[in-house]
Amino acid sequence: MKMTSRLIPIFNLFKPNFAAVIFLSSLFQNAYAQNFTLSGYVRDSITQETINKASIQALKTNAAVSAVMQKAQSNSYGFYSITLSPGNYKIVSSAPGYPEMEITVNGTANQNITYNINLFSRPDDIGAVTINAKRNSNVKSLDVSVQSINGQTIKKIPALLGEPDVIRSVQLLPGVTTVGEGASGFNVRGGGIDQNLVLMDEAPVFNSAHLFGFFSIFNPDAVKDVELVKGGIPANYGGRLSSTLDVKTRDGNKSRLSGSGGVGTIFSRFTLEGPISLTPKDGSSQNQNLLSQLKNSTKNRKTPAKSSFLVSGRRSYIDFLAKPFLKDNLSGSQFYFYDLTTKFNYSTGKNNFFISSYLGDDVFKAAGLFGVKWGNSTVTGRWNHVFNNKLFSNFTYYYSRYRYNLEFTNRDAVFNWQSYIVNNSVKADFNWAINPKNVVSFGAQSTYYRFIPGDARAKSSSLDIKFGLPDRYALENGVYLTNDWNANGKFSVRAGLRMSNFNYLGPGKVYIYNRQPGQQGILDSVYTTKKGETVASYIFPEPRLSFKWQLGNTSSIKGGYNRMVQNLHLISNTAASVPFDVWQPTTNNIKPEIADQVSIGYFKNYGKNSTIETSVETYYKKFQNQVDYIDGANLLLNEFLEADLLTGIGRAYGLEVYVKKSAGKLTGWVSYTLSRSERKVVGINNNDWYANRFDRKHNLAVVAQYKINNRLEFAANFIFSSGTPTTFYTGQYKVQGYTVPDAGSNARNNVRNPNYHRLDLSLTYYRKKTPKRESYWVFSTYNTYNRRNPFSIYFATNYKDMPANAAIRYSVIGSIVPAVSYNFKF
Amino acid sequence: MKPQIFTIAKNNIFQSLTIMALVILAMFQSSCEDVITVKVDNKEPKLVVDAFINNLPETQTITLTKSVNYFDTNQAPTVNNATVLIVDTNSLKPFFFIPKGEGKYQFTPNPATGDTFAINHAYALLILVDGDTLTSFCKLNRTANIDSIRLVDVVGNGPPFNTTGYYVELMAKDAFGKGDFYWIKTFRNDTFLSKISQLNISADMGNTSTDVDGELFIYPIRYNGVNDFFRSYKEGEEVRIEVHSIDAIAYAWFNLVRNENQNGGLFATPPANIFSNIIALNKNPKYKLGGLFNMSAVVAQSIKIPK
Repeated sequence: MKMTSRLIPIFNLFKPNFAAVIFLSSLFQNAYAQNFTLSGYVRDSITQETINKASIQALKTNAAVSAVMQKAQSNSYGFYSITLSPGNYKIVSSAPGYPEMEITVNGTANQNITYNINLFSRPDDIGAVTINAKRNSNVKSLDVSVQSINGQTIKKIPALLGEPDVIRSVQLLPGVTTVGEGASGFNVRGGGIDQNLVLMDEAPVFNSAHLFGFFSIFNPDAVKDVELVKGGIPANYGGRLSSTLDVKTRDGNKSRLSGSGGVGTIFSRFTLEGPISLTPKDGSSQNQNLLSQLKNSTKNRKTPAKSSFLVSGRRSYIDFLAKPFLKDNLSGSQFYFYDLTTKFNYSTGKNNFFISSYLGDDVFKAAGLFGVKWGNSTVTGRWNHVFNNKLFSNFTYYYSRYRYNLEFTNRDAVFNWQSYIVNNSVKADFNWAINPKNVVSFGAQSTYYRFIPGDARAKSSSLDIKFGLPDRYALENGVYLTNDWNANGKFSVRAGLRMSNFNYLGPGKVYIYNRQPGQQGILDSVYTTKKGETVASYIFPEPRLSFKWQLGNTSSIKGGYNRMVQNLHLISNTAASVPFDVWQPTTNNIKPEIADQVSIGYFKNYGKNSTIETSVETYYKKFQNQVDYIDGANLLLNEFLEADLLTGIGRAYGLEVYVKKSAGKLTGWVSYTLSRSERKVVGINNNDWYANRFDRKHNLAVVAQYKINNRLEFAANFIFSSGTPTTFYTGQYKVQGYTVPDAGSNARNNVRNPNYHRLDLSLTYYRKKTPKRESYWVFSTYNTYNRRNPFSIYFATNYKDMPANAAIRYSVIGSIVPAVSYNFKF
Repeated sequence: MKPQIFTIAKNNIFQSLTIMALVILAMFQSSCEDVITVKVDNKEPKLVVDAFINNLPETQTITLTKSVNYFDTNQAPTVNNATVLIVDTNSLKPFFFIPKGEGKYQFTPNPATGDTFAINHAYALLILVDGDTLTSFCKLNRTANIDSIRLVDVVGNGPPFNTTGYYVELMAKDAFGKGDFYWIKTFRNDTFLSKISQLNISADMGNTSTDVDGELFIYPIRYNGVNDFFRSYKEGEEVRIEVHSIDAIAYAWFNLVRNENQNGGLFATPPANIFSNIIALNKNPKYKLGGLFNMSAVVAQSIKIPK
């Protein structure tokens, strides 16, 4: 029995040390005595939905000029903690979509006050009144290169076929590109689609697309908010190189049964949510003194329930609509997708429990011919526990799997094949607001993976062959520690370290290859491992650092560095990823992917209430161990797949400009990205740098909504992006009558497809609009000026029986797509 | 080796994906393809060797041409000044191919004198042209055994039968033992079904990596590959099927040719050059090379669709 175990040397000893020094020195330099602590949850006053990243500021009262003494942000479960020296304070809380709310508080030494903040949503008033979108928190927070969109915003963006979509909305943010229409996933700052950690209630999702990439799997009715972290990635996230897309679902209305839904051109959706019990045992742990100040919030309102649920589903009806197009042997086809998101939560004062799940599939079946099915499933269980006013914890278990099934029927012969990736994970996260200057987060996670790359079977009357690929197993561990240190109100630093460990485990077959750079590996030997035996093991320190230098109340400079390590690799060499691409673990042959990124940006807000946010950011990113493929690699059901893989390095750099207006009749944003993403792999492009398939030099997105009156809203998007690179054949010859195309110099991606641009418009007409009931029509046009944007130009022989070879411009959506949808809420 | 069944599966997948994409896009009534004019520059024409030789007692031809611009419809330039021979590496017996013009070099075997190509012999191709010495090696492998061609009378119009009529089934067995590769050529009334979509190749009985071997070819090979589902065979037509042995390199080469010719759309892979198994022995050769040398053993059978 042979075992190859490798320990990667600590590459950069200096960075973690540096981080540790900051961490330790900041933690113990001061003794904070005789303070008082205010903590609790931030919630929506009506639905009792927790609000994350709400800003809480403590202002000294009686001072001639009100100065911000201390500020805090609610964490991703809506919990906040703020420590102050004794005295009178004005506490100002706000969150996007909510007006500011003020209360006063008088704290004495060593007092612990639990105070849950209820913010009043005024959705009917958006635009009419000034809503301070997290007043200047984009400037003041330590988050670097973070973009969030909430469910409301997503619904207002004109969308393909009138269906609001999470991923397609994310693609409008700076630093995000896509290969093209219909391609699944998204690319962040020059990274591949598999380099984004897409989380749905903490559980990773392995394929975020329905219908290839036309829609994503997230039902916008169930989504609370979406946060994209592109740089300065905090240490609690790990496992992917380029970004984290954290999708959080709503908890469900705790005060009344309510629903929402829509009937669209291609699918319909419906959500039901409500309280489970309306009689809580005790009056929660609200501080009564403070509660009395919330005159409005308690007026005419039932005490919210302790638990609530949410069930949200969608189903497409393309198969019904497609009937006229399906002839002969395709008639009787089934073709649809569905998804179902459910959530249940229960909260007592100190404990919150959440169980959420997702199930979705795309199904396409032509009777007697073939059947295809793919989809994700996730289950997350979480327990929030508040140990005391300063220490918050969250314990998570999740299960996530992605699978596909394929079946081809040929008279009496059936060929079927399925592939899975399954993982189970436990993790614990702690937030500890040690003192006014330091907030420490730490935690650990352990994930067990099972990969079933392909179980295939060919069966006929005369034959029954099973030929799967061996399963693979892996265990991934991570621990992290990070400290937010607020030095003097102006300068703050978030320094953290994540240690990640990945073990490729048995049982299974281990392949040893002899490799020449740039060439297919030659199999040297194969051996079998026992269950649980470690085949290869890797440990990496991943230092993370971000800082903020506050220049004034409305401007700051922020920057960050992060090292990320990735041990799951999506094996795909097609222009757009297909649902049948297989995830592979790091093995003895596939090395962990590594990325280092530095970024720095200037943030400045304008306007009376800082309602115009602007930022300019630049980044540089270096990639190692990027997976690439030999020419003509066979990636599907190939036992010796690893022999066909090549390894290379990458680099990406860019400049992102972002202007966002969040209040007034006209709202929206403009994002522009100038960027480059390249790769260098021995064996490709004559060993020289070449542009990645998703590289686009210019990327512009203009997203605007205009409120005409209380019943009418108009919205528009304009998108421009440079053409993606591609490779053209230059020559041809014939052998045995077959045309052999020839790419001459063997250059890769040396030609550009034409530029892409598109305008989408929508008009929303509200039939009814009250805080409780809402119904509206959305009329939209996608690709309004009917442009034939090419996805690619490809070359073909015998195209439509033409005598000569032809170059074909292929547009996924080559004309205007109008749509109508009806939406409601009750 | 890349098992055939996976390639077939892969083709099926991409076909079904394309159908799916078409259905969706039909919904949008929006997807479109149009032929456009693109300029490309075939800067350095390659010397192309088409050397597929078999053991049948009939005239064997090697063709030398040059690659042309991708969109060129003219006859490719031919190379007529070369010396071409094949050498039996066991006996070192040379077989000279005589230039016949239009890039063709021919040799006619003579069983009476023993001037034939034999199974299990290894052969070397030698080409001397414009100062370059080109060579390639290939073993003439055994081929499969054809038991019969079975006639399937199909009434009805269910998938995969798009037209009513006759279909045939090649009842042929893979030679026992691993590592056999075949190119199955189907002729309809003497016309070779030559479209790239009709290319029918097999690794063993369809899949080298299973434990089963030496049995009938798997369904996609013995059935799908020898019929035209959009044009069934009609009464009176003749179907001839030849099974040519090829080597592993030719098998990989055919796979690449098929992939590169069916590569486009949403799920295209990066276009890549297709290798050649012919190499230059001299330093700084004048020509870059394309094409393939392969030696085949052939078995064939015919069937006439009864009236």
